[in-house]
Amino acid sequence: MNATLARGLAGGLLLLALWEAVVRLAQVPPWILPPPSGIVATTWSARGALLDAGAMTLFEATAGYAIGAALGLLLAMLLALTTPVRKLVLPMIVLINSVPVAAYAPLALLWFGTGALSKVVMVAFIVGFTVFLNALDGLLRVDPAAVSLFRSFGAGPLGLLWRLRLPSALPAILVGLRVSTVRSMIVAIVTEMLGSQKGLGWTIFEAVLQIDFLRVWAAILAASLISLSFFATVSAIERRLVFWR
Amino acid sequence: MLTVGAAAGPRAKLQLNGVSRHFGAVQALAKVDLGIAEGEFVTLIGPSGCGKSTLFNIVAGLLEADKGGEVLLDGAAASLLGKVAFMPQRDLLLPWRNVLDNAILAAEIEGQPKRAARETARSMAADFGLKGFEGHYPQQLSGGMRQRVALMRTFMFDRDVMLLDEPFGALDALTRAMMQRWLLDIWSRYRRTILFITHDIDEAIFLGDRVVVMSARPGSIKLERRIELPRPRDPALLTTPEFNAIKRELLDAVEEESLKTFAAGAV
Repeated sequence: MNATLARGLAGGLLLLALWEAVVRLAQVPPWILPPPSGIVATTWSARGALLDAGAMTLFEATAGYAIGAALGLLLAMLLALTTPVRKLVLPMIVLINSVPVAAYAPLALLWFGTGALSKVVMVAFIVGFTVFLNALDGLLRVDPAAVSLFRSFGAGPLGLLWRLRLPSALPAILVGLRVSTVRSMIVAIVTEMLGSQKGLGWTIFEAVLQIDFLRVWAAILAASLISLSFFATVSAIERRLVFWR
Repeated sequence: MLTVGAAAGPRAKLQLNGVSRHFGAVQALAKVDLGIAEGEFVTLIGPSGCGKSTLFNIVAGLLEADKGGEVLLDGAAASLLGKVAFMPQRDLLLPWRNVLDNAILAAEIEGQPKRAARETARSMAADFGLKGFEGHYPQQLSGGMRQRVALMRTFMFDRDVMLLDEPFGALDALTRAMMQRWLLDIWSRYRRTILFITHDIDEAIFLGDRVVVMSARPGSIKLERRIELPRPRDPALLTTPEFNAIKRELLDAVEEESLKTFAAGAV
């Protein structure tokens, strides 16, 4: 364990202790802010249901993530190769992307139902844009001198893409993939809240209606843990792949 | 000027006839005539901004010359892109490839199987002072070693003509002197035709069979000087009267052109 991680853990524990102490001493009602011990206890007793809901949300987030990342990367490579098409299409893509995600969610529910599909589509949409914009930026931002060198060796557009542009863009692509992990969880949960029968977002929504705020907090804790592990996994892959930075 | 163009004889490996180049209203090159014989080592010096890089890019096939001029390789006019081995000023090594895989880049682009190319590179590593470093990444190497990897990549792009653009410009003086001797040694073994750009007059004389001095912008050939100093050359040469006489002569020519550039406010 390195020093940064140790300091982070120590800080986190201190914050939790403070939270617990303030809530107990000031006798804050649990529906405003429950103590951490209460949240942990509820999470443990409701672990079966939370695990089910978490698995659903994680499935929606990762399925949408995989589809979105693949499509975003593919589109970026395609547009990196075709400059005239890129100049025509890019402003439109940026325009669509600038509308807040949640605004599209009701449409996704209308078209794809309240099952997992609407969530997968929403996540793919957001992740796709994030990865696309990062990847395209990376693919186009290559050293012109390196491009000249490759051309002098007789490389064509595809050779340039494969041997220079893609590896050069790898750091930018992986930043997009890392940022997208948390976004995919957020979008899955928000879309669940707007219409679904399963998942952590649905659990939170239902618990609010039942004024069961400990369960709300338990679901938030579960969502945070899943989101954090997803983020950590992609970060580890990033460090492995972009070893030269 | 015709005699200059014909200096390398009728069977020049690389021949430039009246090569000019404009960028908008600016004329970078004005009727450059230059011939390089097979296996010859020609060094080119000139004041900054004299169009050396433009000339290089034209010979590398990366830039078109203005109409009226011609660049002939083995007597034939054709696109030079992919026909000469070109080494830019910066090493441009790819940080995600190790020494061996950087060296085989050109071979790989040409469609050679990676395994065979790596074998060739492995056998060349000792010649390039890279034995034992085949698996290292560029960021783990010194400046001199990085430059040798870039040179090995250029040599592995198996072309008769090599263009080297100030390859040792960024190195410290000691490393540079070592690299110059090493390059001569490699050149005598692999026998390529070399056009070598430099800012350094000592380097130009020490390496070249012939030194070509370019004029201030618009760049053209101001002077050519055959260097008859015996080979193999060693560092003691740099202090001989013969060397200094040549240096004096070239220095005068370069200085005159530098002053013109200075007066024109380009520096």
